Amino acid sequence: MTSNRLWRLLLAPGAVWLLLLFVAPFGVVIAVSLGTTDILGRPVFGWYPENYQQVFDPIFIPVLVRSAAFAIGTTLLCLVIGYPVAYMIARYGGRFRNLMIVLIILPWFADYLVRIYAWFVILGNEGVVNGLLHAAGLPGNPPITFVNTPFAVVGGLVYDYLPFMILPIYAALERMDPSVIEAGKDLYGTPFHTFLNVTWPATIQGVIAGAVLVGLPAVGDFATAQILGGPNTYMIGNLINDQFTNGGYPPFGAALTIALMVLLSLLMVFYLRSASRQSGAVA
Amino acid sequence: MVIEQARIDAPSAEAPKVAGGRPRPRSRGFDAPRFLPVITGLVFVYLFAPILVVTWFSFNSKQSLNVFGTPSLQWYDQLIHDPIITGSLFASIEIALVTMVVATVIGTLLAFGLVRARSHFSRPTDILMLLNLVSPEVVTGVALLLVFSEAGGFLLQFGIQFGLSLATVVLGHITFSIAYVTIIVRGRLAALNREVEEAALDLGATNVSAMRLVTLPLLWPAIIASGLLVFVMSFDDFVTSYFTTGVGVEPLPLRIYSMIHFGVTPEINAVGTLMMVMTIVVVLAALALFTYQQNARQELAFLAE
Amino acid sequence: MTAAAEPPTVRLEGVVKRFNTTTAVDNLSLDVGKGEFFSMLGPSGCGKTTTLRIIAGFEQPDEGSVFLEGLSVENTPPYHRNVNTVFQSYALFEHLNVWDNVAFGLRRKKVPEAEIRKRVSEMLDLVRLKQKATSKPRQLSGGQQQRVALGRALVNLPAVLLLDEPLGALDLQLRKQMQIELKQIQRTVGITFVYVTHDQEEALTMSDRIAVMNEGVLQQCGTPEEIYERPANAFVAGFIGISNLIPGALEGPGVRLQTGQLIPADLEDGMAPGEAVLLCVRPEKLRLNSRADGDASVEGIVAETVYLGTATQYVIELAPGVRIVAIENNTQTASSDKRFARGSKVVIGWLPEHGRVLRS
Repeated sequence: MTSNRLWRLLLAPGAVWLLLLFVAPFGVVIAVSLGTTDILGRPVFGWYPENYQQVFDPIFIPVLVRSAAFAIGTTLLCLVIGYPVAYMIARYGGRFRNLMIVLIILPWFADYLVRIYAWFVILGNEGVVNGLLHAAGLPGNPPITFVNTPFAVVGGLVYDYLPFMILPIYAALERMDPSVIEAGKDLYGTPFHTFLNVTWPATIQGVIAGAVLVGLPAVGDFATAQILGGPNTYMIGNLINDQFTNGGYPPFGAALTIALMVLLSLLMVFYLRSASRQSGAVA
Repeated sequence: MVIEQARIDAPSAEAPKVAGGRPRPRSRGFDAPRFLPVITGLVFVYLFAPILVVTWFSFNSKQSLNVFGTPSLQWYDQLIHDPIITGSLFASIEIALVTMVVATVIGTLLAFGLVRARSHFSRPTDILMLLNLVSPEVVTGVALLLVFSEAGGFLLQFGIQFGLSLATVVLGHITFSIAYVTIIVRGRLAALNREVEEAALDLGATNVSAMRLVTLPLLWPAIIASGLLVFVMSFDDFVTSYFTTGVGVEPLPLRIYSMIHFGVTPEINAVGTLMMVMTIVVVLAALALFTYQQNARQELAFLAE
Repeated sequence: MTAAAEPPTVRLEGVVKRFNTTTAVDNLSLDVGKGEFFSMLGPSGCGKTTTLRIIAGFEQPDEGSVFLEGLSVENTPPYHRNVNTVFQSYALFEHLNVWDNVAFGLRRKKVPEAEIRKRVSEMLDLVRLKQKATSKPRQLSGGQQQRVALGRALVNLPAVLLLDEPLGALDLQLRKQMQIELKQIQRTVGITFVYVTHDQEEALTMSDRIAVMNEGVLQQCGTPEEIYERPANAFVAGFIGISNLIPGALEGPGVRLQTGQLIPADLEDGMAPGEAVLLCVRPEKLRLNSRADGDASVEGIVAETVYLGTATQYVIELAPGVRIVAIENNTQTASSDKRFARGSKVVIGWLPEHGRVLRS
């Protein structure tokens, strides 16, 4: 209405805060990534772009590939598991729809670490499952090793991020007009073809949103790998983390961080472009 | 929008045919593939099993993870008398409270700015906020760690002591929380009919009065709900706290992390259960407010952005 | 209309409003007198709502001036103008009940609570919502919400009440009923109403004067009768009711129609011979096979007949591609064989003064 200046002023606190504590820190990260360390291991500024070359060093390629693989695997699993659930709730939930959505989200609010640890409790070498298997007489000690495997890490990641895939898909499904699906059934006959040609295209936006909300954070995860995984599940997050603890090399960690951020930003921009092309503005 | 069980002409139709009127499902007879409810059921089990197991074992009298002795509160007892844990618990609560207040205020202001202001800064600020939202915490954590370290070194030249501490944890938490508040409040704000505010002006209220009497009352549920969400997220936060904490008292999740790392004891079960109960209570309160007086679907719809 | 000594309640002088590249209101000047029921009529996007918002104070004109009760309101914000608005979306305060909604404006003005009680109570009686005083807006039907919006604005006794297509969301039955009620309320209270609508029938039945607008430009301003019987241009003729617009050219004291006939008609000053014009005749003015001397007349063949109950509508082809519409009351023709059948030849006549000559 009147006084656009007032509204513009309200942008200020948030924008300033984000600039100071989100954007500026990245400036520092870039600066550190181009620097080196002194005797005490503290970052010293300089011009050492070879830190970035190290990012693409063949030694680390497996780590990068593995992180990408885990993220993609997690995203796909979340999609395969999450879509039917979202579909079920949206189409057949009836009165219990909201309740079911609440139940889906609820576990997420238990602490992240506690959730990872819980899987440790269940699938760990001395955990519940192994205990049962052992009591049932299975050989081996422990009968099955779940932890320290890639499966455990991916399983943990899926567990953590599943709600973020279900929610956008559910929202997209909910927005659909059910009569469109009925019309599709007339046209395409089998439920499978109806789904492929009617439901799926209409919910693509939700799927992509879910993939972004799951995949992007999953790439940078390290706690799951640390607790549930082993040396062969080393991810970028772990690598970065190690650079900032004893014996690490912060500039390298900073370079890795920047590389990761650039990659994710590109994906994010790509997503935003496709989203605004599909519908109106995203934001 | 009520999704009705429409009449299906497929031979296996189970939707009861009601004389006249719209068909109402008396049973959840599905025309859908059988696997849907099965998968959904499994997923619910999958989601709840771990936390239920943790809760279950927190009452275990034995130390083992696969044998259950008798129900006992010994681990909780140990918890309460452990000063490090109680110290961390209170620290986490303090941090969460401060974060909640500050992030809610800044986030709400930002929401107003983004929705109401016509400015060249709107779009960039918006993108900035979204980027913040989806950035992995590792990335933002490292960034904060470095900026605080450098700032500390810089300020030391002037004799000012500045280092990682609970204060920096708070700063870090606020930073990632703002976006959540903004998105929730903005969703509600954008859904408000602009004409309602104009009506208030038309009837004699000044801009400030209109905000106070009309806009804010309609916005409260969203603001408070997002505040509670921020509280929970800050209380639970691990990664950002990991990078921004200093020596001394650490937030509770970090304490748990150490405990896991250095040997698993059932005390963790108790701590975990305690944290879960706290956060779930807060979350339920937030959700109650969230769906108060309106269609919850509207809120969930914007998550699909 | 306006008394000699008293300034018009609303005066717009040369108001221009642009949004980016479009001109929503283009050099608009009009006066609204005290106690008038004044309508602004036109298709979507013609600028009528924008004009209303300018009067209310939600938009500032890029050029021109706005006067309320003789005083310029150029720097006056909406909350200081003696104007109230009934919004198209009602814009009720969801968190307040009906009573508090209606009392809102009075409370802003710090009217004593005792007087508020009296005035709100009377207003609720007037809009017939006494029983719903403690209900919340979402518990009310569309029609009831609309009456709350009306009461909320009216209770402040503004100099002008602005109504932005208030009946648009109601079904036909309710709309007709509300039109009558609104007119009665306006007469009872005596306040100037400025009413925006795209429904020409609504404007004709309710208004003292109508301003017809199109694409931001005022087309004609006058009483319903003036607008209907003597449209100023082809747009007004086409927008209000059904019009027959027959192309032709000025010739002597009449119009040479495209179909060949020379028709006597009332000419405006300033029209040059040979100028291309449109002859405008209303369907109900046409007499079929019963022309009198001195009538203008043409011949044609009935192409369609439409039975409307009280009347019959005929589409008559004068020449290939030139069709006109005639409406005849069914006062004498209870059975269809008395009416003109398709394909029959008819002679159509009308009084010359019923034929308006408009520039094309």
